[in-house]
Amino acid sequence: MRTNVHVKKRVAIVGAGLTLFARRLLETPAELAWEAASRALGSAGLALKDIDCVVIGSAVDGFDGVHMKGEHIADGAGGLLRPTVRVAMGGGTGVMVPIAAWWHVASGLCKTVLAVGEEKMSHAYPHPQAVFAYIWHPILERPLGPNLIWIFALEMAWYMRECKASKEDIALVSVKNKRNALDNPHAQAAANITVEDVLKSETLVWPVQLLDISPVSDGAAALVLADESVARRITDTPVWIEGVGFALDSSFWYNRDLSYPRYVEQAARMAYKMAGIERPWKEIDIAEPHDPFDYKELHNLEGLMLARKCEAPRLLKEGHFERSGELPTSPSGGLLGMGNPIAASGLMKTAELFWQLRYEAGARQVKKAVHKAVASSWGGLMQTSTVIVLSR
Amino acid sequence: MNRRGGRGELLHVEGSMEADKYVYPPGVLGSEAAKALAEGKLTGIRCGEKLIVPPRPYCPDHSKGELVEVRGPWIVESFTIVYEDMYGNMLETPQVIAVLRHEDAEGSIVHFLKAEKPRVGMRTRPVFKSPEERNGTLGDILYFEPAEQASKK
Repeated sequence: MRTNVHVKKRVAIVGAGLTLFARRLLETPAELAWEAASRALGSAGLALKDIDCVVIGSAVDGFDGVHMKGEHIADGAGGLLRPTVRVAMGGGTGVMVPIAAWWHVASGLCKTVLAVGEEKMSHAYPHPQAVFAYIWHPILERPLGPNLIWIFALEMAWYMRECKASKEDIALVSVKNKRNALDNPHAQAAANITVEDVLKSETLVWPVQLLDISPVSDGAAALVLADESVARRITDTPVWIEGVGFALDSSFWYNRDLSYPRYVEQAARMAYKMAGIERPWKEIDIAEPHDPFDYKELHNLEGLMLARKCEAPRLLKEGHFERSGELPTSPSGGLLGMGNPIAASGLMKTAELFWQLRYEAGARQVKKAVHKAVASSWGGLMQTSTVIVLSR
Repeated sequence: MNRRGGRGELLHVEGSMEADKYVYPPGVLGSEAAKALAEGKLTGIRCGEKLIVPPRPYCPDHSKGELVEVRGPWIVESFTIVYEDMYGNMLETPQVIAVLRHEDAEGSIVHFLKAEKPRVGMRTRPVFKSPEERNGTLGDILYFEPAEQASKK
């Protein structure tokens, strides 16, 4: 049952494009945006003049090292002299970009939208971790000298204890996603590794080891969205945006049970309700959950209600989430395999589902028939979730 | 209680919000433009009939531009005179900042202007550092000077 009555226009994705994801690219942030935007427009058979509005997503000014980053990349993103806006939701930005683009079209404001996500994390020296040092509460947390991996380590340890999941169980996510990325020409961290390799990699902040984490990256991704009348003219295979959801929890991240992301469930319920999905674990065919760390994919899958609480590690072991499995997850290679230019990697996940739903994913195409798909981005201090549901 | 949150009697925690440094590569086409600058050449891009400055890889319609050298005079479109720096210190010599448009180009560049009587419409030319001092950055141009004055030298 569809409950949303406020949507004026049905919205489709009609094109997608990516740059290479890599460390220390020569291209400027605006050039990355241009490359992704041009590819997305090209794949839709459109030119910039056909675009009404532009939505830009970029997580943090501090990575690229310019304030007003949205304004700076706007000309590369095609955003000059037309309605253009930037959204920033930290790590949740990637999927927030198509969500914001969706409401531009769904409201009837724009018939076509170019949605571009860009992040260039290699400008900050010695390491982008320096930028993450300033996401903390300046009085209650920063004096402890926290780094980003601490908070993931605390959450991962909490999840492992609560769900009786072992390091071996969790390492399988890294193995799967890096292997999936071998078929992705845009990938930074594709590899054939074993659980052993993950367990033997450097321990950074227990229980997090080097191969549990996605690498930092430069990159951009773009989508073209159109309302139904335009989409039907452009393509025989539009991919519909059926539902969107987003939710924010408190930045007092230590005030809640970190073993389960209730804010992800909140965002997912909103998106599923709009899409008329009542049993996501049965109805969703394929998923791209946010996977900056390996355990995080399992955590997000449970929040997205694609597995019961603490059930994801077992399903993973049984091959449920492989490309050949019942519910393929991160067939793109995910952030673990593709690299993680934050706003771009989240948008990349939506782009991957666009290709999968059109059966255009080539060597990455999953075995089963696909009709409904879900992507999520996640971020902040364990607090932000953005979810999008697509169908063919 | 004093409700001002500055460095008074109130407890405060000091911090900063910077990476150690940032390193900005100039881009694929920007690298070529930087090389040209080190050779004493200003560049723009050719987009069909149009010449666009400063150079960037894409034209206004998103098509790909071609890097070309831009020769000839730059015309003062607007200027200002800086007397005080951002910390409130008076400058010993006031500094003229000008928007400079190439007569064939769409778009302008901004740089220092050294002219006794700056005026809009003035034709200028760049004065470069000596070749061995150049490194392909904006500072390779010391300033612009009136083209008439240059021709008298």
